[in-house]
Amino acid sequence: MTAAFIVTTALQAQSRVEITGDAQQGYHLLVNGNPFVIKGVGGSHHFDVLAASGGNATRTWGVGEETPALLDEAHRHGIMVSLGIWLGHERHGFDYSDPEQLEQQRRHVEEAVEKFKDHPALLVWGLGNEMEGIQNRGDSPVIWREINELAKRIKALDPHHPVMTVVANVNPDKVRAIQKYAPEIDILGVNAYAGAGGIGRNLRNYGWTKPYTIAEFGLPGPWEVEQTAWGAPIEPLSRQKAGFYYGAYQQIMEDTTLCLGTFAFLWGHKQEATASWFGMFLPNGDKTVRVDAMTRAWTGEWPENRAPVLREVEVPVFNQRVKPGEQFKIRVRYEDPEGDPLTYHWEVFHESTDRQVGGDREQRPDSVPGAVRATDAEGGALLTAPQRPGAYRVFVTVTDGRGAGCMDNWPFYVSP
Amino acid sequence: MKKIHAVLFSLVFSSLTPALLAQDFGDHSSATLTGKAWEEYGRENFEMAMAYINRCKELYLKTAKEQQASLSDFAPAEKAHDYWALNDVGTSLFIEGQLLEKQGKIKEALEAYKVLVFELGFAQTWDPKGWFWRPAEAAAARVKQLEFDALLD
Repeated sequence: MTAAFIVTTALQAQSRVEITGDAQQGYHLLVNGNPFVIKGVGGSHHFDVLAASGGNATRTWGVGEETPALLDEAHRHGIMVSLGIWLGHERHGFDYSDPEQLEQQRRHVEEAVEKFKDHPALLVWGLGNEMEGIQNRGDSPVIWREINELAKRIKALDPHHPVMTVVANVNPDKVRAIQKYAPEIDILGVNAYAGAGGIGRNLRNYGWTKPYTIAEFGLPGPWEVEQTAWGAPIEPLSRQKAGFYYGAYQQIMEDTTLCLGTFAFLWGHKQEATASWFGMFLPNGDKTVRVDAMTRAWTGEWPENRAPVLREVEVPVFNQRVKPGEQFKIRVRYEDPEGDPLTYHWEVFHESTDRQVGGDREQRPDSVPGAVRATDAEGGALLTAPQRPGAYRVFVTVTDGRGAGCMDNWPFYVSP
Repeated sequence: MKKIHAVLFSLVFSSLTPALLAQDFGDHSSATLTGKAWEEYGRENFEMAMAYINRCKELYLKTAKEQQASLSDFAPAEKAHDYWALNDVGTSLFIEGQLLEKQGKIKEALEAYKVLVFELGFAQTWDPKGWFWRPAEAAAARVKQLEFDALLD
C-alpha cells in the first residue's frame, strides 16, 4: 500500500525542467534531470498516435476549460506540454499601452500559472503566440517590455519551468528588441514555414545566443506559394507536403547547439485557405502521410500502418478556366503501402473567401452539390463545372479504412 | 575526321531550336543571364532558361568558386554584392534544379542542388521583398525533400 502510494505520488509529481549549457557548447533541456530533445507537434488531440509515432511533446496556444483534461491525457501517453498562454494581439484590438487591459492580462497569466504549474506533463510556458504582430517589424518596445514583465511574474510563481515566447519568423529588429526589452525570456519559439531550415543561422546573424525552438513548421504557407491567375494559392500535393515536413525537420535539427527541438504544425485539422493545407489529420481523424513523415524523421522507421501515397494525377482542369457545365474526366492513383483497399471520395468546393491572417479562424466554404457526376472505385471521377462563374477546388479524400488517409485538391475557375 | 566534325556539327545544331538560335544573351553579365533564366523559367521556357544557366556557369563558375573559397561565412549584407559571380551562379543552379524537377529529372535536379549546397553554399540573392535569400539553404531543403520522396516509392 505504501509502495503503491509512493509510486503514484512520484508519477504525479511536478515536473522540473531546466536549461543547461551555453551557446558555445550547446544548450540542453533537462526534464526531471534527463536530457529532452523536443520532438513535438502543435495540437490538442491524437496523443496516442503521437506517442506511437515517436513524438514526445505538444504545444498549445491558450488555456481554457479543456486544459486539465488535455494535460492529463498527454501525461497518460508520456507527452510533455508546452502550455500556451494566449496574449492579446493589437490586430484584435488589444492595446499594450492600456493599463487596465494589461492588468487583466497579467491576472489571466498568473491564474494559469498557479493552476497548472504542478502538473507533471508541463514542459515549458508558451507565453503568447505572434503577439508582436505579423505585418510589422515586431520590435515594439511596449509589447516586449510587457512580455518581460509577464515572464518575470511567471518565474516568481514557478521557478521550475522555462518561459518560451513565440514569434512569427524573425528579423534583425525583432530579435534585437527581444534581447533588449525581454531578457527574462528563456527560449525563443519561432513559427516558420518555407524558411524554417534557415532560422538558426538567421538568429545567430541577428545576435541571438539563447536557446530556441521552431514552434510551428511544416509546408510553405498559402502566402508563400505560387498562385493561379485568379489568385488562388496552389496547395502542394500530399506527398510533397510530407517531404516538406521531413526535410524541414532534418534541416532544423542540424543545429545542435541553440535548437532545443521543433513542433510540427498542425497535429489535427483546420480550415486555413483550404481544408487540407496545414492539418496533418483528415477531418474524420485519419492520419495522413505527413504523420508518417514525422514518424520516419523521429524514429528512422515507418509506422506499422502507413497512409496512402499519391502516385499519379490526371486532373486536366487544374489551374485552368472552364465553361459552366463543361464536363471533364479526372483520375488520381494512390497506393497503400500495406495494400489496404482504398476508398475515394470526390467533392467540389467554392474557393475560400474567408481568408484571415495569422491563423485566425476561417469558415470552410460550401460544397457544390451535383458537381461530381460519377465516380469509380479506382480513383476516377466525372465532373461537371458549376454553372455559377467563379473559383473552385476539386478535392479528393482517400482512406484506407484503418485510420489513415489522404486529401488533395486542385483549383479551377469557371468563366462564361 | 571530316565525318566526325559533321556529326558533331549536326548534333550541336540539331539541338538548337529556332528559339534558342535567336537567344539574346544581352551583355553576357552574370546578372543579365540569371535574370533572363528566371524570366524564362517563369514562362516555363525551360530550354531557353537552361541555355542562360549554362552560359552563366560557363562564363562565371570558376570565379564563383574562387569567391566562395574566399569566404568563411555569408558575406554581410553591405558586402554581399561584391560576390556577384557566386550569387548569380548559385541562383542559376537553384533555377536549374527547379526546372529539372518540373521536367521530372529528379536525379539531375539533385546533382544541381548538391553542387550549389557543397560548392557555392555562401551564395545570396536579393529578394525584392527586402532581404537576401540563400539559394543553398533552399537547395539543401529540396535535397532532403526529394530524398524523402524517393523513400515513398
